[in-house]
This record gives sequence, C-alpha cells and structure tokens, in this order.
Amino acid sequence: MSLLFRFMVYVPVLFLIGVVITGQHHTTARDTLRAAAARSLRWLVWSVLLVVVMELLGLVFIGW
Amino acid sequence: MVMRSNLDPARGLGWGAFLAGFVPGLLQFRLGQTQRAVLAFVSCTALFFAGWMIVRERLFYWALLDPGTPPGGGGSLLQNLARFGLPLTLPELLNAPANAIGALLAWDISPAGERLWRAVRPLEDLGGFLTGASGMLAAFWSAAAHWELRRRRDGGETAALPIANPALCAALSWLVPGLGHAKAGQKDKGLLMGAAVAIVFTMGLVFAGGHAVDRANASVWWIAQNLFGGGTLFASLVTAPMPMGSELHLDLGIILCTVAGLMNLVVMVDAYTVAERSVFPLPGKEVAA
Repeated sequence: MSLLFRFMVYVPVLFLIGVVITGQHHTTARDTLRAAAARSLRWLVWSVLLVVVMELLGLVFIGW
Repeated sequence: MVMRSNLDPARGLGWGAFLAGFVPGLLQFRLGQTQRAVLAFVSCTALFFAGWMIVRERLFYWALLDPGTPPGGGGSLLQNLARFGLPLTLPELLNAPANAIGALLAWDISPAGERLWRAVRPLEDLGGFLTGASGMLAAFWSAAAHWELRRRRDGGETAALPIANPALCAALSWLVPGLGHAKAGQKDKGLLMGAAVAIVFTMGLVFAGGHAVDRANASVWWIAQNLFGGGTLFASLVTAPMPMGSELHLDLGIILCTVAGLMNLVVMVDAYTVAERSVFPLPGKEVAA
C-alpha cells in the first residue's frame, strides 16, 4: 500500500471517529463538526509525531 | 422534574441487578412488569432458536475459546463449561438461558461431533446474525429494566418520564445509527453520527469486496462488527454469502468494519445518555420539563 493510499484512508476515518467522540459532548451537528475538525487535526499531529518517532527508532535499531 | 440531590447519579445498581440482566425478563418480573417480562423472555428465546435451527453446534466454532478436545485427549474445565454454553460465544452469552439450552442440545464432544462444528451450513450468516441479535435484544431488555430501576431509585414515586425510553434509543441506534438520537430529539446530531458510522462501515465492506463481515472467517472481529446491527444484517444477507475471491484489502476492510461497530457502541451509549438526561440532567444544567 502506498503512503498516499494509507493517508487517504486514515485521515477521513480519523475525522469520522472524531465526529462520534466529540458528538458525546455537544447537542447540535454544527458544534459537533467544529469540535471534530479541531480534535482530528490534533490527533493527526500526534499520529505524524508517532510515525516519525517509530521511523527514527527503526533507523537506530535496524538501520537505513 | 424530581431529583434527590444527595444521590450520586453515577452509582450503579449492584451486582444482583447486573447478573439478573443475563436472564431476559427477570428484572422486569422483579419490577412487577409481568407482561413485559414474558415478552422479553419469549422474544429473546424465539430469536435465538430461529437462528439456532440453522447453525446448531456451529456456535461452538465461533466461540472465543475453543472447547475442543485438548491435545492428548481427556476432558477439561473449559469443556464442562462449554456444555452449558460458556465458552464465551458473544453476544449470545447475554441471553444466557437460551444459549445454555442450545449448547446442551448441540453438545457432542466425539470426533464426529467436533467435525460438525467446522462444517459450513446453508444460510449460516443469517443464522449467526439471529442468534447474535438475541443476545443484543437481551441486553436492550436488560437496559430497559435498569433504566426503570434507576428512575424509581433516583426519581422517587413521581419521577418524570424521559423524552424517549433510553434503552429503546440505544436499540434503534443499534439497527440504524443515529435513529436513537432522532427519537431523543437530536435529529441533526444523530444524522451526523449515523453517517460517520455508516461511511466507515461501507468503506470496510468495499475494501474487502463485501467479505469484511463474515462470522465464519473472522468470528472474533464479528463480535465488535455486530455492534452495528443494521450493517451486520445487510452483510449477512447480501455480501457475506457471495463467493470469495482474492480481495486485496481484506484485512483493512475487516478492521474498518470493526472500528465502525465500536463507533456505533459510542453512538448507542450517547443515545441512551441523551434520553436519560431528559430526566436526570448533569448537575447545573436545566432541562425542559
């Protein structure tokens, strides 16, 4: 699977999970969407950070 | 609205009520709702045996723990438990009496009997869905009784009625994600959350060529996928019986459908909570009478 394909699956699914999670704390769709966008963006940053750290660990322990 | 402020709304109803929930109708009987108790027991039992007539001993093959003869022969504690339907066949275990009777009727530990567990049955996808649905239905009946117990405990004799029965909202969301929210008065949010679940589930089915939800091939994953009952019913009737090819993204599809099922668990709990809060709001929040 190419990186682009993974990204194109991961990002929308992350947002849709965010919709369900943030929906618990809001009563309208508008508020839920706004909160889900912010939440999934934050999750995305953490995901990228996690991947970078894992790649670095791979580089250190396995090599190029 | 009546609410005694000295009670902790998060306080549970105890182990007795929890365990009684595994017997459909028992809690309703304790509440004095005899007709509902009979309806709960009959509906759950009928649904289970409608499916059991198709799958029979195949249920042992779908259990979380394999109750087969261990290497070297001899019996085991697991086999003794499996005789009464306790090798963790989920969600059938939530309908404990019917599951136990079905296991007792189908139990055969001989090599020929064990081979039958692995034999594919015609319409087994539908049969597996029906037995599983009986467990989910038992859980919703139990939730309805728990709600009534809670309402009487925390609301007293003059407790207000909710905007909709919380257990009914959860059950509706199991079939159609978001429908429970619509019933509880949050239509747009229900539509949004329901669409989120449906899109992830559909993505899973598409990536896996329709075989992401298949109890025979991915029985453990199916337990979580079944938390989206409407989607699992569709898959059981339409996509799972299709001939299997060499699906490129089968694993991805299975995981996406499982994620969708878990997302719908959140939707069901939220639908329950929305209805519940129409009687017992969070501290400091007012609600329309």
